[in-house]
Amino acid sequence: MAKPLDTSAHSRLSAALMEDDEYREEYEQSRREIEAIDRVIHELDELREQEGLSKAELARIVNRNPSSIRRLFTQKSNPELALVVAIAAALGADLRVVPPKKTSRRKTRGKRRELVAA
Amino acid sequence: MARWDIVYNKTADGRVPALDYFIDSCTTKLHAFLNAVLDAVAAAPPPSFSGGGHWEAMSGDMAGYFEAKAVGPNRRHHRVFCLLENSDDPSEMERRGLPNKAIAVITGMWKPNATLFSDKEYAHVRSLGDDYLKQLPRRIASAEDVTDFIARLTEKREQERETGRKKDERRRKR
Repeated sequence: MAKPLDTSAHSRLSAALMEDDEYREEYEQSRREIEAIDRVIHELDELREQEGLSKAELARIVNRNPSSIRRLFTQKSNPELALVVAIAAALGADLRVVPPKKTSRRKTRGKRRELVAA
Repeated sequence: MARWDIVYNKTADGRVPALDYFIDSCTTKLHAFLNAVLDAVAAAPPPSFSGGGHWEAMSGDMAGYFEAKAVGPNRRHHRVFCLLENSDDPSEMERRGLPNKAIAVITGMWKPNATLFSDKEYAHVRSLGDDYLKQLPRRIASAEDVTDFIARLTEKREQERETGRKKDERRRKR
């Protein structure tokens, strides 16, 4: 059996980049934002399955092309907020913005002030 | 599902186009954002939705490729072009030399706002991708390539910070 390649380059690179404060802050913030969007889409897809709806059926309910719904639930498109809201409504769900806990709220405010002052 | 690896395509002459792109075309923040997209996709790999909408399958001549997308300074649109190493056949993965499924980062490019990449630019990406796919085992960036990249990047960031400091000084003097 041939020796597998060393695929550690990315993790080594990431570890080195994370030592830079500017990089680390942006990376962590971006991961949080990306995960929040991914979570919404996954939860909607789970709801769809719980409701026993196919993607095509859901598309008919929200009056969209079936391909746009298929694309939304795979990795193939940038989710459009209006479509996400329409799907949530069709599944009897609600999209809300939940304020963060107090400690992370203080942190966010501090960071916002820094950005405004910059 | 297990996390995928992220590997960087390396050319026959020893270049790593994606790392060159990160150094030459990306700010620290943009690089961090694009890596956040790649890591999110590697953590929750296709076919599940991941990457926050910044990861898309390409179509037409670029079918088979995926792109991580971001808008950078001066409204430049940045793209990192990737291929998936996701064969379910263990002997095929062994031939490729890959211990796990992986995102292969081929290269990156940017374009001004409201413009398209030219056919020639896409053809360049495909030629790098085709060359990568011909290699068995795959030719990917090593730990030494990363060490070299970090040294170049550190030097560049230092220069940028120095330029920033000088600009601030000039602004204060005015």
